[in-house]
Amino acid sequence: MFQYYFVLGLRSLRRNPALTALMVLTLAVGVAASVATLTILHVMSGDPIPHKSDRLFVPLVDNGPVQSYKPGDEPNDNQLSYTDAKNFLNSKAAERATAIYGASVAVEPERKDIGVFTTRGLAVASDYFNMFDAPFRHGQAWSPADDKAAANVVVLGRKLADKLYGDTDPVGKRITLSGKQYQIVGVLDKWTVVPRFHRIIGSADGAFSDEDDMFVPFTTSIRNEMQRNGSTSCTDDISPGYQAFLDSECTWIQFWFETRSASDRASLQNYLDSYAAEQRKLGRLKRNAANRLYDVREWLDFMKVVGNDNKLSAWLAFGFLVLCLVNTIGLLLAKFSVRAAEVGIRRALGASRREIFQQFLIETTVVGLVGGVLGLALAFGALALIAMQSTALTVVAHMDWIMLLTTFAMAVLSAVLAGLLPTWRACQVTPAMQLKSQ
Amino acid sequence: MLRMQNLNKVYRTHMIETHALRGFEINVKQGEFVTVTGPSGSGKTSFLNIAGLLEEFTDGEYILDGINVKGMDDNARSRLRNEKLGFIFQGFNLIPDLSLFDNVDVPLRYRGFNAAERKERIEDALAKVGLASRMKHYPAELSGGQQQRVAIARALAGSPKLLLADEPTGNLDTQMARGVMELLEEINAQGTTILMVTHDPELAVRSQRNVHIIDGQVSDLVRKAPTLFDANAHADGKTHVA
Repeated sequence: MFQYYFVLGLRSLRRNPALTALMVLTLAVGVAASVATLTILHVMSGDPIPHKSDRLFVPLVDNGPVQSYKPGDEPNDNQLSYTDAKNFLNSKAAERATAIYGASVAVEPERKDIGVFTTRGLAVASDYFNMFDAPFRHGQAWSPADDKAAANVVVLGRKLADKLYGDTDPVGKRITLSGKQYQIVGVLDKWTVVPRFHRIIGSADGAFSDEDDMFVPFTTSIRNEMQRNGSTSCTDDISPGYQAFLDSECTWIQFWFETRSASDRASLQNYLDSYAAEQRKLGRLKRNAANRLYDVREWLDFMKVVGNDNKLSAWLAFGFLVLCLVNTIGLLLAKFSVRAAEVGIRRALGASRREIFQQFLIETTVVGLVGGVLGLALAFGALALIAMQSTALTVVAHMDWIMLLTTFAMAVLSAVLAGLLPTWRACQVTPAMQLKSQ
Repeated sequence: MLRMQNLNKVYRTHMIETHALRGFEINVKQGEFVTVTGPSGSGKTSFLNIAGLLEEFTDGEYILDGINVKGMDDNARSRLRNEKLGFIFQGFNLIPDLSLFDNVDVPLRYRGFNAAERKERIEDALAKVGLASRMKHYPAELSGGQQQRVAIARALAGSPKLLLADEPTGNLDTQMARGVMELLEEINAQGTTILMVTHDPELAVRSQRNVHIIDGQVSDLVRKAPTLFDANAHADGKTHVA
């Protein structure tokens, strides 16, 4: 009977085209608004590296001044000082480790048709590429020996490589960055990580920024005193000079550990606690604050990647959907009320209340499906409009298969929910009364 | 075929009680053509609705084709209605946006027949009422008499044992009414029991038996003159009084 009721549902769309169009549009607008905001929330709150998100950890130790500190306060910073980052890099406390900070360089192209321009990149350790599954188009990451030697090597992002070398493989060539020669060892391929969890702080669009143009060894960027491009937090006055800055307690470096398994978290935490205790003994760390490890999901929560305004938008969109549903209920009541005679006839011909219920509910499901198709089109439109607002939103405002199916499921579920009361009312029709009144 | 004993139907509101049927007794045999007459408000429609399992009765007993229907749930009543009964209404009650074929198909769908059997039954039923060539048409494209024929085809398609007709000629002109009545007599001659409510005394005399209802009770049961088809059975042509 499902097929029969489905066909009847399709026919009933034509029965009262204006009412049907209004219902479909109401449902579609409500679903589109919800799906558009939900899509953004879904992309923002997704696990960017599911196969190892429980093995990647951000360590935080509190190197703030003792003044204004109350026991039990959480660390009030989300980056590390150079001293801590350097110690962690040398610690071998985990399988892999990388420090990260934003670096800004002047690129001096060999090609005469391109002038000198400034670009942004990252100073990282060689482990960085493996830790975050960076895809290489040409070449590979530099070696740990390059890290150790602070060698002038660079990995280019695909956009910069395309700009400078077109389709040719530039691995092995030399490039001048801020007056120094670097050897190109690799070129990354398209690398979309949403949210861009490994470098949330300091980039232009936070967790939803574009790909970086180049990567140099952390040790090299320090040796070459590469210009920082990111967030720096200092609580004390700093003496002049780069070395004084490195020796200060200013925090400006993000750090990630990768453990062999999720269960190694405890030993990493032990290392962090021992390290902090030792630094307190040395008089460097003055606060007795807790030392924190955050895995990827915890880090995204801690950094409030999905802000309260995003959540509020989603709630408001759902509120709007409920409003649309109430309207759809009213429209369905109107549509079904004129079908009382048909219900009476069908009941007289042998339909039970249950069969009438099924028929009308499947009819509302058909309305839901049509509403879903239109809602999907509207949602794509809404996402395109949202994407036009900023670069960061371009990254998140796109629909995947899950959201595509969610749209249909939501439309059908909404229609079925909206149809419950009108369908129940239709089932209560007294056939005898309807048949006589015809 | 249909037996009601001491059957009562009371409509209750918070203000008043209305006794539509009181101590109602009737026994309709298999193959009979019974007309039901009576003044407005006498209980004819209540009787027909209860007989058609469209309404429940307050108390008493109702046996339909050997089945006691008292206390049956909605599913069982609907199934029984679908299998045993056919309905013909004064207002035809066709579904306007379904073709004639699809209108006749409705009760067969609920019966669960397969597509081939449904098609065969629909074509037979429409052929029987002379509308086989118009099965793709819609009710609005037909005259009143033709629409009533479609309703009859729909009622017959499921091979019901009892056909309930509520003033089936009430909306038709004399010529069309005669045609419909002849069709009903033909159906009855083929063995289907017919129970027909009518205001028309001329139609009442054409049935084998007329039941007159007044104030929710059967006032008398009179065997009328044999019909054209009875005449074959009663060759002497005499009037038989019950």
